[in-house]
Amino acid sequence: MTIFNKYLMTLVLAASMVNIFLAFFKQNSLEIYFVVNILSYLIITLLYVYINPRARAALNAISAILFGGFMVIVIIKVLEIIY
Amino acid sequence: MLLIFQEEKLRTRNPYRALGFGFCLAGAIFAPVSYFIVSSVPLTAIGLSAIMIGLTAIALASSRPALSPESCEVMLRTGMENMSALIEELGLRSKAIYLPSSMREGKAQAVIPLVDNGNLTQVKGKIPGRLIVRYGSNPEDMAIAVSTPGSINIGMLESRPGPTASEIEAAASYVLSGLLDLADSVTVNLSNGRVNAEVNGSRIRYEDIWFYRCLGSPLASIIAAISSEALEKPVRILEEKQERGKSRVVIEVLS
Repeated sequence: MTIFNKYLMTLVLAASMVNIFLAFFKQNSLEIYFVVNILSYLIITLLYVYINPRARAALNAISAILFGGFMVIVIIKVLEIIY
Repeated sequence: MLLIFQEEKLRTRNPYRALGFGFCLAGAIFAPVSYFIVSSVPLTAIGLSAIMIGLTAIALASSRPALSPESCEVMLRTGMENMSALIEELGLRSKAIYLPSSMREGKAQAVIPLVDNGNLTQVKGKIPGRLIVRYGSNPEDMAIAVSTPGSINIGMLESRPGPTASEIEAAASYVLSGLLDLADSVTVNLSNGRVNAEVNGSRIRYEDIWFYRCLGSPLASIIAAISSEALEKPVRILEEKQERGKSRVVIEVLS
């Protein structure tokens, strides 16, 4: 199995596990699903250090966008707590 | 026009692109339907995950070369056959010595001694950047200098690896697993002036041919070139074995 296939398989498995786990515990907040999915994505992407530089650059761009989404949710939640 | 058509054909043949668009489309339809019609948050999350994975697959597709594996194989075979013909015609039976870039005017290469069992401890200092080179003081210390798959890959490393086993292992894993996708993993040990490497899930089989006996298989060549560059010393492939999906490479560090 090539490194790209392994990486995609890991992402699919992690996303499935996260969603099944949260659904099992009757989690009903879309923000929680989104944040946990982004965290698992970022961790797995960081673990695949040997992916070639061109793919790494493209994945970094996607990670940056997802991290932006994650930060937006965190800021909204913090503002909700403060005000 | 023909080239544009061929490039477009190759792009559509890229399985990661097709997979990515499939995931994105499925997620983009599934997420709003689940949220607004079914009113199910877990199903909406599955749709969003599909979009994330789809975008990742498209990103991976863009990093794959436009050349097909078949055309790469043709070019590799051409180079190997020309090199084999040269080695066989000259009757070279000795194993190649991999030199670091500091000994070959900034370009990592291998030298094949013209005389078998030549005095290998003589390989020191800078060797001129020519095809036929002298590596020692004796008249028979002559060799031909060639580029190998390993020496080409040294230029692909982001930085020069350090002289420890872990740094050589990291560099070899980066090239073999990350860049070339030739193996699943690499383990490297340094002991008694030898570099012992174990390659798991190798996708290149060792063949008992003259070219491999002289320069080593592409896998061994890459590990030897990286070891030579990391240790800044000439090295030679001593042994290469393949058993149960694992390749074992023993590299001798000279001088």
